[in-house]
Amino acid sequence: MAGGLVVSDLAVHFPTERGVVRAVDGISFDVERGTRLGFVGESGSGKTTTALAIMRMIKAPGRIVAGSIRLDDADLVQMSDAEVRAIRLRRIAYIPQGAMNSLNPVLPIGRQIADGVIDHLGPQRDADLKALVAESLDRVGLAPTVAAMFPHELSGGMKQRVCIAIGIVLKPDVIVADEPTSALDVITQRRVMDTLGRVQEAIGASLILIGHDMGLMAQFVDELVVMKDGRIVERGAIRGVFQAPEHAYTKMLISSVPDITEGRSFLGTIPTPAEPKPATGAAPSPLVAFRNVSKVYGRDFFGRGGVHALRPLSFELDAGRSAIVSVVGQSGSGKTTLANILLGITRPTTGDVRFEGKSVAGLRGTAALAFRRGVQAIFQDPYGAFNPFYKVDHTLALPLRRFGIATSRRDIYVCMEHACDAVGLDPHLILGRYTHELSGGQRQRLQVARALMLNPKLIVADEPVSMVDASLRATILKSLYDLKARHGISIAYITHDLATAYHVSDYVIVLHHGHVAEAGTPRDVIGNPQHPYTQLLIDSIPWPDPDRHWGSRQSVEDDQRRLEEIAASHQTIVRSRIPGFDLDTAA
Amino acid sequence: MALSDLLRRLVLLAAVIWTAMTLNFILPRITGRNPIIEKLMDSADSGGANEYDFDQFVAAMNARFGFDRPILHQYLDYLGDLVTFDLGYSIANFPTRVGDLIASALPWTIGLMLTSTLIAFVLGSILGALTVWFRSSRLLGFFVPVIMVLAAMPFYLVGLVLIYVFSSLLGWFPASGGFVETRTVTSGWDFYLDVAYHAVLPGLSIVLASTGVWALSMRGMMVTVQGEDYMTFADAKGLNLRRVFLAYGVRNAILPQVTMLALFMGQVVTGAVLVEVVFAYPGIGFLLLRSIQINDFTTIYGVVFILILTIGFSMLIMDLIYPLLDPRTRKSRA
Repeated sequence: MAGGLVVSDLAVHFPTERGVVRAVDGISFDVERGTRLGFVGESGSGKTTTALAIMRMIKAPGRIVAGSIRLDDADLVQMSDAEVRAIRLRRIAYIPQGAMNSLNPVLPIGRQIADGVIDHLGPQRDADLKALVAESLDRVGLAPTVAAMFPHELSGGMKQRVCIAIGIVLKPDVIVADEPTSALDVITQRRVMDTLGRVQEAIGASLILIGHDMGLMAQFVDELVVMKDGRIVERGAIRGVFQAPEHAYTKMLISSVPDITEGRSFLGTIPTPAEPKPATGAAPSPLVAFRNVSKVYGRDFFGRGGVHALRPLSFELDAGRSAIVSVVGQSGSGKTTLANILLGITRPTTGDVRFEGKSVAGLRGTAALAFRRGVQAIFQDPYGAFNPFYKVDHTLALPLRRFGIATSRRDIYVCMEHACDAVGLDPHLILGRYTHELSGGQRQRLQVARALMLNPKLIVADEPVSMVDASLRATILKSLYDLKARHGISIAYITHDLATAYHVSDYVIVLHHGHVAEAGTPRDVIGNPQHPYTQLLIDSIPWPDPDRHWGSRQSVEDDQRRLEEIAASHQTIVRSRIPGFDLDTAA
Repeated sequence: MALSDLLRRLVLLAAVIWTAMTLNFILPRITGRNPIIEKLMDSADSGGANEYDFDQFVAAMNARFGFDRPILHQYLDYLGDLVTFDLGYSIANFPTRVGDLIASALPWTIGLMLTSTLIAFVLGSILGALTVWFRSSRLLGFFVPVIMVLAAMPFYLVGLVLIYVFSSLLGWFPASGGFVETRTVTSGWDFYLDVAYHAVLPGLSIVLASTGVWALSMRGMMVTVQGEDYMTFADAKGLNLRRVFLAYGVRNAILPQVTMLALFMGQVVTGAVLVEVVFAYPGIGFLLLRSIQINDFTTIYGVVFILILTIGFSMLIMDLIYPLLDPRTRKSRA
């Protein structure tokens, strides 16, 4: 079995103050040449540690304590550091997770492909190197001119393909890809995975794909390994695992992927929405009103040129009714710009944002304070959203004091405990701890609690679940949904995940290049898309069903051409309207 | 586009220089001290002039330097003079021109300070990077606390210690001056050797005190860079360790150091005042100190003007070469 990888009884331990963490606890598997093996599991399951162990890149104090990793007849575990270095890239290539930052920002792409060749094969003639670099770029569908470019000049998808080009330049026997597309939107993801699959077949390597997305696995790998707590709980051919999952954990992973079908709600039992509180007093002005709001970045001194992050957009969100409005689109579609304008962080280039009838741009003093309190944010990265120097109680007490909601120590604690209870966190366990002691899911719920505590009118949630495990996604989305149903808070849900948008939202806006492509109720827009862009987005979702074809019959190149046509057309399709939210497409 | 960019930078530079010059004009004046009177009082103490002569002389000197004219006129004259590099006469050393004072002091400062700063920069950056790279090395581990102590010590303190040890105790090096004062010939190998000999202790004190600062900041950057994804990927590519260290680690960690170096250029002159004082070194810092002591504003204006130009232009040069170091700051060619 030349070029195959056989791992037996591999164990990786990390000594910590609280005892030894058995990150990988005696696992065995093998990959045959030319096949694709998938590793799934949630964070902490040991799948990434397994990948790093194969690369012999476990960082001290962690170490491989037992087992063997055999490539042909050589055991990687027994090799010296120098021997392992010689194996890397030449025989086992690694495609990293964070393609955004995995390339050296100061070296041109060509150099970063060539340096690996030089270090493994010795000095080469310039012409040979150039040809090799061009060939490698060509394999991943990039033009030879990319060699002269720097990482910051490339899009996320291109960077990921460059990482693949680097990995395959020496035609390795094994490719280890660690969540290569977790930061990409579905269209780009399909393109990158298509590239990876084709290259792998062309050079005849075996591929180990690490991931957490059951859908992606179903569409891509031949064989699947499910990991939990450092052990393999299930293993088998992909069809078998999906048709008849044996382990409860596997079943849970499969069922936690939201589907777009009527009837089965992925949020579980949803409380019947409380009757919207009738608006008190005279006819109120809308909670939020956008009037021809647009944002252009990088304009020159005379207001020329620039990139349109958001094309003129007008809508009104009523104060009386609460609604969840989802804004979906690829990265670069302008959805985060829209969120930041809503939060008052970004100033629109044109147009006027009004909050309860007052222009946000001119708010000062108490009016500004009321706006800040009324519009709260939940951010994508639960790790970066809290100041690591403060314990949870300090973090939560600060806004309470700042807005004068509670002043006495007693009142502050009552408020905090209420908020924690509301999102399902135990205040006694949470309040006295530092945020880094909490799990990603707990932190994300803490963000919800922090927003809820201030009794806001609108919450802007920017990708609140894209960095948490699938099993937690439902819990967090449910607590968001509760905010609307129980507390009457409107939510702007910004996401690239159409499936979750389908389940939580009352209204969906699909953005493409800053332009509204399609808008309407989720049942219309996502359940039965009419705009070619929405169709393409939904088409590109990898479904957790090996028999369901991923993407349309067209090739990814066709998709790319379609995207360009769509961008040029500037077509807006409004499918339906709901009371309380009024999108104005006259402009 | 590159031209309009350069033009914009130059306009900005002019604005910065003008602002600094204006502040420089105002500050010595709000002290309310008149250097002419102070200078005369000095000579008066040593006997000579009578009351009548005194007032007349002050008036004459005030007229000579234009201090009797409206402040706005003085300001405009000041700007005009400096822009044409006419630095005028020193008040304290009246017949001597400020330009000559600076011209005789500047080479000393540049020679000593610039050289030792650059040595410290290179040495510190290398040392800082190495302490991170060879974290387990005993030898380098020993350096870290030493670096920290040195970084915390001011120049002049190191200077005093050096004078005590190498000059007073051991007598290896001279304690002060730029060269042997009795020397008549001021050129030729013999002279330069003498200058270098005198520069050892002041130079060493700067190198010792600032190497630590550079090393610490480089160390901090290196630690940050080591955590970057591209370092992990470089490792996964099985690259030569030397390449990973230089082309991936140091190459990225050095970027903020270079910015700091540009900012440091101003300190090359001002921060060295104390070193020059401790070693009685005939440099520009020493000149500035003396001028401030007697509020000799024509000289202060001249010296500070040169400082402003140095900082302004070193920032400009840094702005221009930085895109070569960091492609991210280049304008996209799209």
